[in-house]
Parts: sequence; C-alpha cells; structure tokens
Amino acid sequence: MSEPRPVIEIKGVSKRFDATQALSEVSLSLRAGEIHSLVGENGAGKSTLIKIMTGLYPADSGEMTLGGEPFAPRSSADAQRQGIAAIYQEPSVFPDLSVAENIFIGHQDQGMMVDWSTMYREASRILAKLDIEIDPRLPAAGLTVAGQQAVEIAKAISLDVRVLIMDEPTAALSAHEVDRLFRQVRSLKEAGVSVLFITHRLEELFAISDRISVFRDGRHISTRPANEVTEESLVREMVGRDPSDFFARGEHPEGEAVLRVDSLGVSGVFSDVTFDVRRGEVLGFAGLVGSGRTDIALSLFGVHPADEGTIELEGQTLDIRSPRQALASGIAYLSEDRRRLGLSVEQSLVANVTLATLNRYTSALGLIDRDQERADAEALRQRLGIRAPSLSTPVSQLSGGNQQKTMLAKWLNTHPKVLILDEPTRGIDVGAKADVHKFIDELATSGIAIMLISSDLPEVIAMSDRVAVMREGSLIGIYPRRDATQERIMTAAVGAR
Amino acid sequence: MREWAAKHRWESILIVVLAATIVVNVSLSPFYLGFGNFVNLFWLSIEKIIVVIVMTFVIINGEIDLSVASVMGFSAAVMATLYEGGEMAFVLAIVIGIVAGALAGLLQGLVITRFGLPSLVVTLAGLIGFRGAARVLLEDRSVGDFPEWFERIGQQTLFGPFPVALVLFFVGLALAWIILERSAFGRKVYVIGNSADVARFSGIEVDSVKMRLFVASGTVAGLAGVLFAARVGAVQGTLGETYELDIITMVLLGGVSIFGGSGSMLGVVLALFTVLNIRNGLGLANIDGITQTGVIGLLLIGSVLVPNLARRYRLRRPAPEAMAHGPP
Amino acid sequence: MTESAVAEAAPKSTRFLRPERVKEATLLAIIAVSVLVFAFLIEGYLSGRFFNRVTTSVVVVTLLAAAQALVIFSRNIDLSVGSIVGVAAYLTGDFLAATGQGPITAVLVAIVVGAVLGSVNGLLVAYGGVPAIIVTLGTLALFRTLLSIYSEGANVLAGDLPSWVLEFNNVTLFTIAGFQVRLVFLIAVFVVVGLQFALARLRWGRRIYAIGSNPSAAAQAGLPTASLVFWSFVGSGALAGLAGFMFLARAGTISATAGAGLELESVAAAVVGGVSILGGSGTMVGAFLGAVFIDTLKLSLVRVPEVSEFWRDAFLGILILAAVILDTVLRNRFNRRWSAEARKAMESTGPSAVGMARMAGGGGGTADA
Repeated sequence: MSEPRPVIEIKGVSKRFDATQALSEVSLSLRAGEIHSLVGENGAGKSTLIKIMTGLYPADSGEMTLGGEPFAPRSSADAQRQGIAAIYQEPSVFPDLSVAENIFIGHQDQGMMVDWSTMYREASRILAKLDIEIDPRLPAAGLTVAGQQAVEIAKAISLDVRVLIMDEPTAALSAHEVDRLFRQVRSLKEAGVSVLFITHRLEELFAISDRISVFRDGRHISTRPANEVTEESLVREMVGRDPSDFFARGEHPEGEAVLRVDSLGVSGVFSDVTFDVRRGEVLGFAGLVGSGRTDIALSLFGVHPADEGTIELEGQTLDIRSPRQALASGIAYLSEDRRRLGLSVEQSLVANVTLATLNRYTSALGLIDRDQERADAEALRQRLGIRAPSLSTPVSQLSGGNQQKTMLAKWLNTHPKVLILDEPTRGIDVGAKADVHKFIDELATSGIAIMLISSDLPEVIAMSDRVAVMREGSLIGIYPRRDATQERIMTAAVGAR
Repeated sequence: MREWAAKHRWESILIVVLAATIVVNVSLSPFYLGFGNFVNLFWLSIEKIIVVIVMTFVIINGEIDLSVASVMGFSAAVMATLYEGGEMAFVLAIVIGIVAGALAGLLQGLVITRFGLPSLVVTLAGLIGFRGAARVLLEDRSVGDFPEWFERIGQQTLFGPFPVALVLFFVGLALAWIILERSAFGRKVYVIGNSADVARFSGIEVDSVKMRLFVASGTVAGLAGVLFAARVGAVQGTLGETYELDIITMVLLGGVSIFGGSGSMLGVVLALFTVLNIRNGLGLANIDGITQTGVIGLLLIGSVLVPNLARRYRLRRPAPEAMAHGPP
Repeated sequence: MTESAVAEAAPKSTRFLRPERVKEATLLAIIAVSVLVFAFLIEGYLSGRFFNRVTTSVVVVTLLAAAQALVIFSRNIDLSVGSIVGVAAYLTGDFLAATGQGPITAVLVAIVVGAVLGSVNGLLVAYGGVPAIIVTLGTLALFRTLLSIYSEGANVLAGDLPSWVLEFNNVTLFTIAGFQVRLVFLIAVFVVVGLQFALARLRWGRRIYAIGSNPSAAAQAGLPTASLVFWSFVGSGALAGLAGFMFLARAGTISATAGAGLELESVAAAVVGGVSILGGSGTMVGAFLGAVFIDTLKLSLVRVPEVSEFWRDAFLGILILAAVILDTVLRNRFNRRWSAEARKAMESTGPSAVGMARMAGGGGGTADA
C-alpha cells in the first residue's frame, strides 16, 4: 500500500429528502489503491452518498475534493469525466448493443465516428485482461449477470477511472464468480484505482477490504483498517445493538417425506435430479449460480415444466405445468428476483399479501371480501413483524427487508406444504436477515417442508438439516448437517479434486 | 379533504378543471344548464364513452387497443350487410354484428397472448385490417332504411328524458366501476398491468385475463358500432373512423398510466365529463370540431406536464436524467 | 475497417449473422416474390411505368417511415407526423404561392417548419418528462388545429403555385430501359442511406439505440439522454417536413386535412421493416423496405382484376401481423443462440485455486486482506 494520500475526500456532507435526513455531516476519504468497504443497514445512507458522489443529487451542504480540487459533479457524465464511476447491484447493460459498444458507450471524448475495428480490438484486450472470453461483437442480450458485471468493470477500466464505486456487485453472483470479481478488483487496486465497495456479506468484507467504514442512520460511525475490525464489533456498530440476538438453528426430528423428486430433468438445463424433502425439514441447495438450483425450483413451480422424471407430493404423482397448478398442489416459490417476479410494488401491502390467494376472498359474485382480506394481512404483518405505516401503503415505500417479509407473507398465506425459498436474504440488512432466519426455523417447526436455495454458504450450512449440492445441472450429493462443512460443499460445487 | 386531494392528485386537478369549465360554460350560454343540453352532452358521444369504459381496463392492464374504432365500423358493416341481404331477421343481424366484434377482439387477443406480441402493433394491424374489412363489405355504399324500432333505440327515451343507450352507459359504468375496484378480476387487471411476471408467479391466469379484456373490448366496440348506426340511421365503411384517438385521450386524461398498473374509474369519469363539457362549451361558443380536438390535445399534454414540472420544482432536481432514479 | 482486422482482433471469432441483415434479406425476398406473383396475375405488370409509379408514390411514406424509425429506436413514438406533413405542405404551398420562390428555398422552408414542430414534441418528451405517446397524441390534434385556424378553411390551390412545383415529381435524372430514376426517389434513397450510415457509424446514432435498448442504463452511463431524445424528435420532425414538401409536389392542392392518417401508415411501414416497437433495434434500410413493400402492395392490389380495391387495407392488416410474428420468432431464435454462446464463454474460465482457498477458508473472521 502506498502513502495515505486521499484521492477523494468527503467532508461534512448532508442531504435531506422532504422529512428524512438521509445523510448528516458525513465525512469519508479514499486513498489511492485502496479497497474501502462501506457497510450499514438499508437506509443508513450509503446509496445517497453514492448518488451524490456520482452527480445524481447535489449535496445540501458539505464539500468534496477530488485529487485536491473541489469536486461537485453536476451529472453522472460529469462525474465520469472527472474519474468517478459506479457499478450497481443490477448491472445495466444495453441488450441490443454489442459487448464492445457496451464497454465504450459512455466515452465522451472520441469524436463523431465509431471506429468499429479499433473498438473490437480494444474490447478484446480489456476482456482478456479480466480473464473473460466473450466475443465483443456479440450482443449483450445473452450475457449472464456475472458476464454483465464483467462488462461493467471493463467499462470502468476503459474509462481510466480514479475511483470506482461498487454497490453490492456480488449480490447476484455465485461464490466462484465472486472470486473472479475479487481478482479483477484487486488488479484495479494494483493499478492505483480507489475502490469503494458496498456489500451485505460480512465474509466478503474481510476478504477484500483494506479499510472498513460503518454508516448508521445517515451518520458516519467509524472507519478502521480491516484487520482491526471483528465481525462482532462491526455488527454492533451497524445495528446499534448486540449481535447475540442472532439466530442459530437447533436440531430437528426427522419427519416423513413430503415431496419426492425422481430423475427430474429439463433438457439442456439439468438432468437426473433425485431427492426428497421431509416434513419439518430445511433442505439447503448450494452450488454456483447457473448450476441448476433455481431451474429445479422453476420446474417444480411449473414455470419451466420438467420433460423427464416424476414429482410426487404426499404420495400423489403431479404433472405441474403452471405456477397456478403448483400453488393449487401446495408448492410455493419465493423468487430470488423480488422486483421483477416477487411483488407488485405499486400495489398496497394487503393486495400483495393476498395476491396468490385472491380466490379465497372472492364471493360468488366475484367481489373481494375486504374485511377478511385485511384481517388476514394484519395477522401476517404482526407475525412477521413487517414495519409499514399502514396496510394500504404501497409496497414500493417499504424498505428491502420489509418487502422481503411481505413476499414471505404472500406465500405463507397460501398455506404451502412445500415452500421453496430462493435467496431469501439477498440484499437485506443484518437485522432483517436474522428475522428471516428465525422465521424459516419457525415454519419448519410448524411442519412445512422447506427448500432453501442460497449462495450465502454460511447461511445454507447454518439453516439446513441437509445440504444438496448442484454442479452443472447435476445433483452431486446430499450432505447431512454434521458432514456439511464449507470445504466439502465448495469442493463438490466447483468440482475440484 | 386535503388528505384526499394529496392522495388523489390527479382527480383533484380534474375536478378543478371541470369546475372551471362549467363556470365558463354557464357564463357563455344560458342554455348550458338546461336538462336537454345535459343529456345531449352524453348523447352525441355515446359510442365513444361506452368504449372508454372498457379501454380503461385494457390500459390499466398494460395493453392498448387501437382497433376499437375500426371494430365499431366492422361490426356495423356486418350488421348492415346482413340486413341489406334481407334474408335474415334484423335482430339476428344485430347479434351477429356484435359477435363479429367479439371475434375481432378474440383474434387480436389470441395473437397477443400466444405470440407475446406488443398490443400496440397487433391492434395497429387490427385498426387497418378491420377498417379494410368494413370497406370490403360495404365498399362505398351507405346502408340505411333500418326498421323504425331500431332507430327508436337510438332516439327514444326510456326513463323520462334518458335515451336507451344512455341508460345502458350508466348501468355499464356502475358495473365496470365495481368490477375494477371491488372484484378479484379488477385486482388482477391492476397486478398484471404492474408486472405480468409477478402476476404469473402468483398463480394468476394472465393470458386468460388479457383474452377476456380483448374480447370485452371487441364486444363493446361492436355494440357501440350498432348504437352508432341506430343513432344516425345509416352505416358507411368509414363509421367511427379516428375515434380511437379520442377514446384513448379520455382514458389517459383520466390519469390512467399508459404503462399500466395505475389509474381509477373516478379519474376517467371526471376526464370524460371534462372533455364532453369542454367540447360542449366550445360548441356553444361556435368553435368548430377540429379546434375542440386541439384544445383536448393541449389538455392531455398539460395534464401530465404540469404536475411533472411542479414536482421537479419542488425537489429542485437539476437534470431530467435524475428523474430516472427515485428517491432512496 | 475491414472484416479481416476484426477477425484477427477478436478471439474465437465465430461468424454470426446479424439479425438486422437477416430481416432485411427476408423482406427483400418477400418483395421479390410478391412482385413475381403480381407479374403473373396482372398483364403488363413488369413495366417501366409501374416502376415509375411506385418509386414516385413511395417517397412520402419512405420519409415518414424514416422519421418514425428515428424516434422508435429511442423507445419513443411520433403519432404527429401526419399532422406535421399537413402543416409543412400547407405552409410551404402558401409561401410558394405568395413568393414564387425556387425548389431549394421551398425544401428548406418545409424542413424548418417540420423541425420546429418536432422540437415542440422533443421539448415535451425529453425535458417535460411526458411519455411520447401522450405528447404526440396531443400534438397530432394540436398541430392540425393550428393549421385549421391558420387556413380559415381555404385550400392551397395547385393553380397558385409556381409551375416548377407540379413538375418536380416528374424530374427524371436518367432512364434505363423505360425505368426512370426520378429526383424525388433519389432524394428519399439518399436520406435513407445517409441516416443508415449515421446510425451505424456515428457515436450519436449508437447512443440513440442505446437509449432505446435500456433508458435507465443510458442515463447511468452518463449519456446526454434528454438532448439525444430531443434532437431525434427534431430530426423526425424535419423528415416529416421534407415529406410535407413531397406531398405538396405530388398533390398540388392542399387542404387543412392533408396528410391525416399518415402517422399510422408510417408506424406500419417501420414495423413491417423490422423496427422493434420496444426500441433499440432495427435499421433505416429495413424501414425503407417496409415502406416499399406496403406501397408496392397497395398499388398492385388495385390492379388485380379479381380483387376488389377495397381489399387493400384488410390485406395490409394481415401483412403487418405476419411481419411482427416473423420478427418475434427470429428474435427469440437469435437470443437463444447468443445465450448459449455467452454461457459457454463464461464457463470456459474455470475456478481458481485462490478462490477455492478463500471460500474454503472460512465464512467470516479476519482474513488475508
């Protein structure tokens, strides 16, 4: 690490939106060639700070300097010109444009004409440096999330940024993809770039950071070198309470099998998958993104019906062709993609909770029994501890954690026999995560068979009675709780000897 | 009151505009407040406002139906052709005409749901195609001389001063209001408009809801075509041409989002009243139809623009690109 | 800028067909087949006269299809082009009747009128934040109203125009075996080729596609989205203005309702030409072919004796439907292929030992930073 000369310095920045003070008197500085992590619960002010740094909002007060000069970007283009770029959790590519164009689209200084051959050559060079072999002429439409992220990093490299902000870039990545991302980030660091890294996953934090800053309720709480920080101290600072509230799951008695899946397959995606889930059990699913975990869930839920194998629920063979049928049979699926597949965010909390069970509240005339609907929603709201101004509040106004709980409430209201949870704690803060874990345990205890898909390895291991590992569309093995160590599961998931 | 206004910003704006229109109209003409004028107000646009009700559902559902005016013409043309042939009871011709509208809706709904095509394009094809079909049937003839009782539907009153079709409109409106805002079907229409994927993943029969809406749209357009024929007493291939623009304008002016998922029947009804009153007032002031349409166009743009500008001024956002990202 | 340089530069350069090229080729083949079919049905169809008629009549729709495509690429739409044609035609006609100016001034007047009207749309969409469909639905009515007020019910009469206006349509540059290449057609082709080049090669053009492909990403990438959208509407208006001049030259007499309904025809031509209504993809050449196809069909169908002239629009509706269904099928097929290729590329780089160590090393605590 070089001398601690700050590249960007933020001094006493505040920002207010209507009634909420999003940031108050926040100060932060990044050194050249430093990976600086920023943590805090949702609503701590991280996103607001990023938006001020990238010129999307002006600060109300305070000042920033970049390389010693005053810095007040008027737009994201302006920020980019001055050397600050951001990569968001959900990468924003242009599906119709080629990979190369995606990398170079933001360049402001290259004249009127597009020089295709130079652009393709440059793109290939940068992608090769990132250890990625994508033909730069391909349209970005087909890229996986990891591929899209690689394109975003390539974009930042091509811009020669001084400061790169990464807002939860790992949220949608598998462990193996996270690893590659980290290598890319470290090579940026070696090139002297300052990286501001934001994540909810603590183990990543310690693996990548030089220094760690904590925000809470719009205020800066601390900045310390990573090796002076412990997980406990970090969590205490983030939530302002003791981490002993965290949940650890106990042993469970074994019940009889509720769901039996035999030789299930969808051609070209996964094949010959056999397992069962027992009453009151949490069956974890580990594996890389793209290994087929979510695909099994989608086929059980009838989105992509299986074309081989059998599904048996409580002894009855099912042929599930649509989510409607799956729900009618008692299988519910909480999607990993809350915004696109999970919630109708413009609608009220009540409407979302009863979305999958509307028929239950519908009279012979087709009218909704609104009193019953509200009563049930209120019961679930209390049971899950969803914090919302009222039952009529649109879900878009709730925090990420409360949205996640709302989605859970929706599926619980279907009274499922089998509940498939796909990344149920992705992108929610530590407090809400503990709530969700506690709740998963309660559900299992109440007799629901749970399939838990998660890329958060410690989570899968802590929560599951057994862990199934997927690799490249095959089920590699199912490990009972006592054998499910991180080493064993990772080895199985990546196929190393 | 203030709370209601904050929550129903759009409806509040419309109420103000409507009130202003009425005040101006009253000052313009002593006939304005007469009951006859009030009935006339609706009466002369009955075909449009009937379709507006069903279009509200379609747009909230995240789709659009550009073909309604052509389907009106098509249904009326089917009816007129069968009547002209003279071999069929006229009642049957009417029924077949309306069924033809339903089939037109069914066909478009099928293409939209089966191929996953944007309804804007499919119903644009429908707009051109069904108008073409009406012309194929009638060429450049005008069919009239319908039985007397048919034209009476168009003109005679049912209760007191209310013509049959007007009664039909108000009953339909009440039903639609209840369906949209109180029924499970209405809830599904909103949810699908918000995100069809979320709806599908919640076990909602997305395609079936869409199909039902397009069939309803075709049926109602067919009915409107027949009512049009009854009112004016003749059918031509051009019947109802370009009405789609007026109909969609009224729905959007009612605060229904063109992207689907939001809007209210109250807003649409207020917009409908406003448009009819403005046209009526301008008519009383001897301003021609084209100019009236221009005023409505101005109102349509202004109704979205003014709140946008007001919000931006309030938040003091410098660049429009910041608008793409909501507050944290 | 050669293909070979690209092939050298790109690793594992498998050849792949761009979907735009496939669509254009398909449409060209369909046009050829339908011309053959008509030649079979209609006596003396394949004549210079028919070629001349199509190439003259297609000019207005071609320019409007280009105007429409330009805004559709950025995920907008312009329903006011028909009204802009009317206003530009009328005002230019009025101007010529009063001043007797020559063609260059006339074209400039028409383009400026169109650009000004387009800038109204652009201002409202790009800086007012009003969806394009609402803005242009409004200005469709508004522009027409302004024209109607201005005209006070009077028409521009062919007799009042300078004599060159009515001859303009027939100006022939050269003739090959009875096939006349007329100036107006050449202008339209020139515009299309120029725009095609600009959209494929100029940074400005690529950014228009980028906005249509993913508007929020475009803003995030720091593209000047508002000004790009604004100028695309100005460009669209200018093209509609030029179309207005062509309309004047063809019709001579212009009423206040001139050009009504052309907005839908222009959308139809663009869509048939493979321009995706959802923005981000399509080409100017495609839109041009769409216009040619629709126009050829319209002019040919009326000459088939077995078919009533009233069939034209019914047929056109079916055609548009067929075109978009084909487009969807093609798009899905290509997307599947790309996904497969991209997936393979991402998987080819295996996991590293470092990553293994880190993941296996522990899920927390202090680590090797």
